[in-house]
Amino acid sequence: MKRNSASHLELKKQMRLLPGHLIVGLWCLFTIGMLAWIAAASLSTSPEIMRGDALKFETGFHFENYVKAWGANNISVFFMNSLLYATSAMVGSLLVSAPAAYILSRFVFKGNNVIRSSFVMAMSVPHIMIVLPLFSLTTQMALTGNKLVLILIYIGMQVPYTTTFLTTFFGNLSRGYEEAASIDGCPPMKIFWKIMMPLAQPGMVTVGIFNFMSIWNEYFLSLIFASSEKNMSVGPGLKSVLTAMQYTGDWGGLFAAVVIVFLPTLLLFICLSKTIIGGITAGGMKG
Amino acid sequence: MLQNKQTKQMIFCFMAPAVAFFLLIYLYPVARTVAMSFFHAEGMSDAVKTWEWCGLENYLTLFKTSIFLDSMKNMLKIWIYGGVITMVIAMLFAAILTSGVKFRGFYRAVIYIPNIINAVAMATMWISAIFNKRFGFLHNLFEFFGSDLAKMDYLSGTAKFWSLLVAFCFGSVGYYMLIYMSGIERISGDIYEAATIDGASKAQQFFRITLPLLRGVIKNCIVFWTIGTVGFFVWSQMWSAPLASDLPTITPFVYMYTITFGTQGNTERNASLGATVGVLMTLIVLLVFFVLNRFVKDDDVEF
Repeated sequence: MKRNSASHLELKKQMRLLPGHLIVGLWCLFTIGMLAWIAAASLSTSPEIMRGDALKFETGFHFENYVKAWGANNISVFFMNSLLYATSAMVGSLLVSAPAAYILSRFVFKGNNVIRSSFVMAMSVPHIMIVLPLFSLTTQMALTGNKLVLILIYIGMQVPYTTTFLTTFFGNLSRGYEEAASIDGCPPMKIFWKIMMPLAQPGMVTVGIFNFMSIWNEYFLSLIFASSEKNMSVGPGLKSVLTAMQYTGDWGGLFAAVVIVFLPTLLLFICLSKTIIGGITAGGMKG
Repeated sequence: MLQNKQTKQMIFCFMAPAVAFFLLIYLYPVARTVAMSFFHAEGMSDAVKTWEWCGLENYLTLFKTSIFLDSMKNMLKIWIYGGVITMVIAMLFAAILTSGVKFRGFYRAVIYIPNIINAVAMATMWISAIFNKRFGFLHNLFEFFGSDLAKMDYLSGTAKFWSLLVAFCFGSVGYYMLIYMSGIERISGDIYEAATIDGASKAQQFFRITLPLLRGVIKNCIVFWTIGTVGFFVWSQMWSAPLASDLPTITPFVYMYTITFGTQGNTERNASLGATVGVLMTLIVLLVFFVLNRFVKDDDVEF
């Protein structure tokens, strides 16, 4: 009886909040509807889509759109490239930033604050400001068209954010473990690798996912430094598919390519949305 | 902590890679771009020896270039209209989601989704699923109501800019909503309780308590929004069709790209002018940052 009245009260409260539910609900419906339509259209034929019958599947499901997009439209190449860029830059930026963040959070030395604030400022430098000299450096060293260049740039680009995020994270870890280990005669290097790194794992996972997703979705630098078809990442690659579609009229293949491009980050987000959202609001900064 | 030799060595070894990357990817390029904006240089890779000093001439040239001025106008429109639309909706959603609605986590995640999807994929979805003049959602909606707007092409003419802005803002709302939500959640519940006892309505509480206390958060959001507007590139590229004029959607970033890297039909290049655009954009971000800090006092809810 008591429970009943509690749920009744909750229902009453939610009814009062109905306008809120409606506004936010419609927005969500629109978002999901758009994704669902694209997914449906990616399984239809171009004539069906043009007639506005993408949701009827009169001629069945056309999975060959995916085969076509993956092979003929070169999405497999772009996909693998992006996977390489995102994974190696994610690992690289963690390897570079985690030790630096540990030092910044634990040791007092000349330049500590300067480095911290330089990193914070670097986060708001527009790409437009750094791309010209980097490009000229690459041409001078005859490294244009080399995948390693883009990977190194991505690592460097992520270092300020990753370091700042992890500095806060290390700062919140108790010093007790280190002090105990140091009294037992454990050298500082070993303390870091054996004790601090495992403790910092949750933070590293969060920032790692961020970096992976932001590189997967990066467009401008990849357009500049990976302009050849064999180096292209998914962003510029998908754009080239879209341009080609305007001549071939293959809508089904285009939508299949769109789905392939957004599926990895969408799946990551669905599985880890709590971690990701928590990280944004805790770490702040970063669009 | 005792700073013996071993510790000093470790500080150096651990810091060196991060600092090296910072110098190479940020400090050196920024310094060179700033320097370049005061010289004449046609190609990006021209040796510094061949640069000709020209003082502020690049800046003056830019302000006499009509395409650049158009791009600045577009950026200003994105900043103001888009900013107001995005911030108001984001704040509204944050207020709704912190008011105790059920399914809060679900709503929050779905509204954030556009942020995690590749912008090219997102823009392709908007262009085809919503704005396509033959089978798009907007076309069908207007046709259903028998409106003449169904015959319109949403991706050219004056509609071009607005369709772009709507699609861009739609995706941005989620990010700012998250920031506002975490700001609102940091305001102590006691304040609202006291206000409720004193008979303040929900709306009064929002305008008298929430908004003033979120001043600092809003200020940060405006700075983030400015950084985003300055970096407005891929969406503009996606809206540029082969046959239509790109003037309604060109931004300074796109302009810089065309004059430094060249595009079809535009072979004239001027790298130092591109560098000047970059410097101007950075100055805009700094200006917004300092003006806001000067006039908006920081408050109790830190973000």
